[in-house]
Amino acid sequence: MEVLIRDILEESEKRYSEITAVKWLKKKEILERSYRELMENVKSVRKGLRAEGFEGKHIALIGTSSVEWMESYLGIITGNTVAVPLDAGLPGEDLIDLINRSDAEALFLSPKNQALLDGILEACPKLRKIWMLQEEEPETSEERAASLADLKNASKNCPADSGRPSPDDVATIIFTSGTTGKSKGVMLTQNNLASNVKAVDFTLEPGSIVLSVLPIHHAFCLVMDWLKGFSLGATLCINDSLLHMVRNMSVFKPDIMLMVPLMIETIYKRLAGADPAIPKKALAAHVFGGNLKIIFTGGAHLDPYYIDKFAEYGVDVLEGYGMSECSPVISSNTPEDHKAGSIGRPLSNVEIAFENGEILVRGSSVMKGYYHMPEETEETLRGGWLHTGDKGYLDEDGFLFINGRVKNLIILSNGENISPEEIENKLALGALVGEVIVTGENNGLTARIYPDQDVVQAKGLSEEEIRTALQAFLDQYNKSQPTYRQITGLVVRKNPFIRNSTKKIKRQDALIDEAVLPTA
Amino acid sequence: MTQEMQFKTIVAQYCKVKPEDMKEDMRFREDLGFTSLDFMSFFGELEDTFDVELEQEDAVNILTIAEALDLLEKLQQEA
Repeated sequence: MEVLIRDILEESEKRYSEITAVKWLKKKEILERSYRELMENVKSVRKGLRAEGFEGKHIALIGTSSVEWMESYLGIITGNTVAVPLDAGLPGEDLIDLINRSDAEALFLSPKNQALLDGILEACPKLRKIWMLQEEEPETSEERAASLADLKNASKNCPADSGRPSPDDVATIIFTSGTTGKSKGVMLTQNNLASNVKAVDFTLEPGSIVLSVLPIHHAFCLVMDWLKGFSLGATLCINDSLLHMVRNMSVFKPDIMLMVPLMIETIYKRLAGADPAIPKKALAAHVFGGNLKIIFTGGAHLDPYYIDKFAEYGVDVLEGYGMSECSPVISSNTPEDHKAGSIGRPLSNVEIAFENGEILVRGSSVMKGYYHMPEETEETLRGGWLHTGDKGYLDEDGFLFINGRVKNLIILSNGENISPEEIENKLALGALVGEVIVTGENNGLTARIYPDQDVVQAKGLSEEEIRTALQAFLDQYNKSQPTYRQITGLVVRKNPFIRNSTKKIKRQDALIDEAVLPTA
Repeated sequence: MTQEMQFKTIVAQYCKVKPEDMKEDMRFREDLGFTSLDFMSFFGELEDTFDVELEQEDAVNILTIAEALDLLEKLQQEA
């Protein structure tokens, strides 16, 4: 049966009305919202959007996790509007590009990102309104900027609630890295999201604590932390900063968490670095808060070593697999049914097939397509199957395993998919950069640069000076980028890259630095 | 243990370099192999250990051990 996210939330509102839905920190004080209060605010946003004439329109959000962000997001997707969550860490120019490409006509903007306001209004002509994610009036003379309180006031003038969307309507557009260097807007329908929430075979006692530490604009966080958590009556706690992830485990004492492998690796360093005289149980209580039993992980490969190690501290690590295009979960290990090294069994609403080893997916969670990218949509969904770009196999027990990639994306252990071309295009603008290839190593990105020989000769640069100048250029680039797109390694090449017969750099040979003899 | 050694002991949790072999001009990510999240977690530990508060924005601009030590001293003076 096809369902809406609104159906799921209304059911939770009825069943868990007085249970705490969200907790967050303001300085050191813990604030909270019940399911009833949360849903009242969601309804206000939904009705406000209708009152302001935004039905049927696309609405972007920029900000890190906050209760206001979530209420606004839910207000959008429970009505006849489409939510476009964007990565608040991106440079302003990239955000402007995504707002324009997604045809957003309104924007919810976090107060922390207020510095972007004027630039966005100037460069995004379609935007008719920006609501700051705060109750107070924003400090700006710009008429198009308002507060959440203004939107809620507008809802009071609108007696009728927004109509229910249809299951096939697009609920959200989530941007993901494209292999051509241009990010793609994944269109997920109401039914895509709701069926993924329903099909993940996991349950919790209402009021169980989930600490949300992933970036909220990611499908894994949005759907599995928040929408799945709300469907079960869980209490979602907001991690205010990655700086405080471990501290906040002690503050909120979660029962369950979703993480990307990088987080598991970092926490393990703290466990392994502790005084060996401390008993493991005591250390686990100190680091994990005392109640943590399960960590679900996905987004990148996790070395099974960590599964064994965390088990010693009483925490089960369960690996799953997914991508934004599948809303996002495709398969997952569960507490009752798991196999180390695998990414679990496919969900009940998913069919799996293979084409030359590539994993293909079909089912009710598979996206409608990429927004305004018919060619990319056709290529990815050819033959009615979503082509994941990952190679894998099913074992004799029906567990899925991954053993390679087809597409040219770098998957970092923080789950970010990096298109090397996108970064290379930016680095190529450096005066001293002749040729550049970006590769992923040791959880970070390395730029392999062959310096522009004309510049080297004109300036008479030594090897040391070339390296210093290139590092300074990378430092400058890094300052404008979110951490996951920063370059942490530099290789200065002595020779140009090897090229194929059409003069394209052979990416698979990027690590070879040998002189190529001219052909006769 | 001196503050600097206490600081370096925390750094050592995240890398393979021993505290006594750390040099002030070593860069966290390039020389010590810190991941982006190690870096955040490390600064969170500094806050807890030395009872200071820092903004994420201050942390992301730090490149070397010397810069982090300077920031720590500055925060302690302000506290």
